[in-house]
Amino acid sequence: MAKAFKYGLKGITGYLEPAERDLLRSLIHDVISMLQPEDRDGQDPLAALIGLDMDVAEPSDRAVKRLLPNVMKDDAGASLEFRQLTERSLRETKIGALRAAALDLDKDEIVLTPDGARHWSMALNDVRLVLAERLDIQDEEDAEHVHLMQDWSQAEDVESYLALVYNFATWLQESLVQAMLQSMDSRR
Amino acid sequence: MTLSVALGPDTQEGTRTGTAESTDSLTAPDIPWNLVIWNDPVNLMSYVSYVFQSYFGYSESKANKLMMEVHKKGRSIVASGSKEQVERHAVAMHGFGLWATVEKASGGNNGNSGNSGGGQGKGKRG
Repeated sequence: MAKAFKYGLKGITGYLEPAERDLLRSLIHDVISMLQPEDRDGQDPLAALIGLDMDVAEPSDRAVKRLLPNVMKDDAGASLEFRQLTERSLRETKIGALRAAALDLDKDEIVLTPDGARHWSMALNDVRLVLAERLDIQDEEDAEHVHLMQDWSQAEDVESYLALVYNFATWLQESLVQAMLQSMDSRR
Repeated sequence: MTLSVALGPDTQEGTRTGTAESTDSLTAPDIPWNLVIWNDPVNLMSYVSYVFQSYFGYSESKANKLMMEVHKKGRSIVASGSKEQVERHAVAMHGFGLWATVEKASGGNNGNSGNSGGGQGKGKRG
């Protein structure tokens, strides 16, 4: 059974069972594969190098769109223009945090630097955002409903399994953020 | 947002909310854009407060106040500045997974006065 992250002399530490690490690793890789920019033929290599992507479009997958939202609420044109300039590097930032977290999963005991903790919190958040879209969590009521699902022996279908995984990721992120807030407090 | 387990006293909306701060910076001509954070049912309240503290350098009480405003009112203006500044903040917020948009400060600011405190890493941690 996983232990909650805590802040102590060694920094922020946590412990996960091998099965829990495998689960997180596969979730992280799923999110990375959703964020990986597709290689398109004929793309200007220099533009790609500096992060420009003139062929970018608003994501059609709701989960990807939640990870890479429009920057203006009621202006699709301006949002698209902004995407051309920023989306590629935003994808890379997210993939970087997810990969860093995945690397930390090679050991049972996880010891995090402040940067490592930030990457973990971002990675867990993106994993939860994707799971929440798959679970169709649209409002606080839906979130409450999913939160009630805590018993692994009741996981009978994909939805209840996803709900349990979501709740596990939520618990883990909450314990991590509490440890990060404590560590910030101690540095003030 | 999702309720976190540990809420400090600062997170409660008290009588101070929205009364003490001036609104002059909202109408100043050199601050024409706002960064808006929207509520969603997934992001943890503790995480949103952490992002406001660590990225903007806001105090715990200011971060919690803004976080509660997002949670209760559905949105909050958490920083203001030039278009380029708030766009840079928006990309950073998207990096953290927060739902952020930018908008012109003039016109429909939805009664969201009192939070236009500049928002440029001016908090107590360096």
